[in-house]
Amino acid sequence: PASSWEEERRGPVAEGEDFGYRLFPERRSEAKPQRSFLFTSLFTFNHKCQVMLKIALETSRHRGGRPDPVASAGTVHKDRHFACEDCDGCVSGGFDAATSQIVLCQNNIHQQSHMNRVVTHELIHAFDHCRAHVDWFSNVKHLACSEIRAANLSGDCSLINEMTRFKFGLKQHHQTCVRDRAIRSILAVRKVSKETAEKAVDGVFDSCFNDHEPFGRVPHSKSDAKYAYRNFQNRDRYYANL
Amino acid sequence: MYFLLFYQPPRTCEDYWSEWKHCKGIRNLFHNYYTYGEAPSCEQWKIDYGNCRKWEKSKSPDAKESLCKSERVRILEKQKYDPVWQLRKSPPRDWYLPLGQDKPK
Repeated sequence: PASSWEEERRGPVAEGEDFGYRLFPERRSEAKPQRSFLFTSLFTFNHKCQVMLKIALETSRHRGGRPDPVASAGTVHKDRHFACEDCDGCVSGGFDAATSQIVLCQNNIHQQSHMNRVVTHELIHAFDHCRAHVDWFSNVKHLACSEIRAANLSGDCSLINEMTRFKFGLKQHHQTCVRDRAIRSILAVRKVSKETAEKAVDGVFDSCFNDHEPFGRVPHSKSDAKYAYRNFQNRDRYYANL
Repeated sequence: MYFLLFYQPPRTCEDYWSEWKHCKGIRNLFHNYYTYGEAPSCEQWKIDYGNCRKWEKSKSPDAKESLCKSERVRILEKQKYDPVWQLRKSPPRDWYLPLGQDKPK
């Protein structure tokens, strides 16, 4: 296993490639401002982000919702694996493989339902990072696969969310949405052409769209999530009796 | 015979029943159409429920075999496609390391 970030970057890298870190200015150590507690309280949404994150994690624990089976792949600690920061643009969050942290954009997440969805989305990436050798930085297909899974399993592509984006469709629209959002996510964090992103997503779509781990199904509703969690709790009995 | 006495179905019979009811419901019909463009097929859950109850009542080896076969088919369905990446045996070494120990410049 690579011991440093530089070693992980195998393969050719596009000129000017920043792996999306420009969207997360606080991640670059030379750019991180030393802010007082007063400044943070008055001028950032840091506290609100922390509270919403806590609610998102605790709600899932009690209702056996989406995040819990994900968290079991490698134990997730709120203080170590989550960071609330100001981000650029419209991005809501990201997974930083270099530090094993989920970044939540405190300036762009203002509703609990949005927080829940972003946490789930990024936890899928964290889950993939823990359970597989994912080459985030130089294998676009690996990135595409994780983005397909995150869009598929987090609720990003629910009918209601799509309608709020003025994207209307019904029959199999979920797949169209997953494909489009995966391509957009790749383009946001990698300097590749649209054709490259589309080719990567289409190349791995069948395999990754049908990979529903750790849920075993696409959790569209609370009851889907409840049954997925029940199967997760029951897994020892299940595999012992096949 | 010892093993048969201590065998239990992979899921409780109530689980098979509730999966069947959930599958048949109108919400799942909508979600399946939205995701796959077709209605779901739920019949297998009902068959599994029947076999589960049959096993509970009479410890029928046929019921047990049908149930196990059905679950194995479900697992094989999930393994239909080749994985994109190689699975790990344990989380990455730096997952638990405190921040700053291996942070890039």
